[in-house]
Amino acid sequence: MKEYYNHLWNYEKKRLFQKHILNVTKIKRHKHHPILNKVHTKYNISKKTLFYIKEYGPHSHIIKVIIMESIGILAFACLLSSLGGLALEEIKVLFMEIMPLVIMFPTLNNMIGSYGTVISSRFSTLLHQKKVDSEFWRKGLVKMFLQMFLISMITAAMSGGLALLISDYSGHGMNLEYSIKIMMIALIDTGVLITILFLVSVIGGLILFQNEEDPNNFLIPITTSIADFGNMIILAVLMTLFF
Amino acid sequence: MAFFDKDFTEILGTQMFSIIGGIIAGTILAIYEDNLLIIPGMLIMIPGFLEMRNNIAGSFSSRITSGLFLHIIKPNRMKTKIIKGNIIASFLLGILVSIMLGLIAFTFNYYLMGLYYPTIIIIPLIAGIISNGIEIPLTLVSILYLFKKGHDPNNIIGPFITAVGDVVGILSLLVALLIL
Repeated sequence: MKEYYNHLWNYEKKRLFQKHILNVTKIKRHKHHPILNKVHTKYNISKKTLFYIKEYGPHSHIIKVIIMESIGILAFACLLSSLGGLALEEIKVLFMEIMPLVIMFPTLNNMIGSYGTVISSRFSTLLHQKKVDSEFWRKGLVKMFLQMFLISMITAAMSGGLALLISDYSGHGMNLEYSIKIMMIALIDTGVLITILFLVSVIGGLILFQNEEDPNNFLIPITTSIADFGNMIILAVLMTLFF
Repeated sequence: MAFFDKDFTEILGTQMFSIIGGIIAGTILAIYEDNLLIIPGMLIMIPGFLEMRNNIAGSFSSRITSGLFLHIIKPNRMKTKIIKGNIIASFLLGILVSIMLGLIAFTFNYYLMGLYYPTIIIIPLIAGIISNGIEIPLTLVSILYLFKKGHDPNNIIGPFITAVGDVVGILSLLVALLIL
């Protein structure tokens, strides 16, 4: 008899659980509904899971949701990248003559953008974990900056070196002065942008966190856009200065 | 507080991997610069073209990985509504953004340089179809494979997308030029 009641109890629990989950999927996407918190508390399902079910559940038009949420920021990123590209288009002849820079161009563009993502997400995580305290300001901040700066310098030097090697191998005339200029461009461009990205991430992250916003949602698009746009502007300026 | 800690080695390692893809893409760009970069407005379009595919494939991979970890997506079932929806949405986004990039480059060419060159709208569109057609399925297969093997795709797929995306992007631009 006890087993029978247990079975009935489990069946009822399962039925209620399925009913609640079905209710979650029916919530309008843009609304925060109290049922989310209720299901989270009662069944110990993480809020992230419930959010995912609500966003991409059976009653959601997945394609429309993804396109509508992404198109705005992608259009903004396109415009910013194109504006940066315009600076390079202005000095196209000079750019095309410097083969190592053409080789390095996709690497520099992506590398600095991804450092923007790394810095922003690391600082946002520290803010969420409440680890940004007096100890962090005294030691952690400097360590984080120096780590990122050193990594970026190593990778910039590596990409510069590889680009020079490939150019030399392909018979593009190289000399010491030319090689130093290329390396200087890679290192200055990366160094300046990493410093700017770090400042933006720390200051922007603190402001956003104080305003009770998730810095992840804003800092990553901001820093990657600054990285893209800034990289091309700084490259154009350095090329004009050095060559 | 060690300076050369786990974070340091992880970031350096992944960045080195993505550099290789970038250098290969740059080398292809340098070899074919007389075909590619000579086109008016190409330098306006290329940075955005490379970046947007990484953004689209990056978000795609992160959505699929979240679904896998939340057990909403099953690694052995590819023909589900959520996976199909993600593939179609990412592909459509790629086409929309390619058109946008082409239009921006065309506008800059026309108003700032006084050049009428409508082909610059078609080039990223064709290249976008080719590159997304390769990159999105490749990303999906890689995520599912990594997940089945017990790895966290979040840690590996980012540099992989960047490295592969750059090479595929430049090659698809070249194919688009060949077609036109």
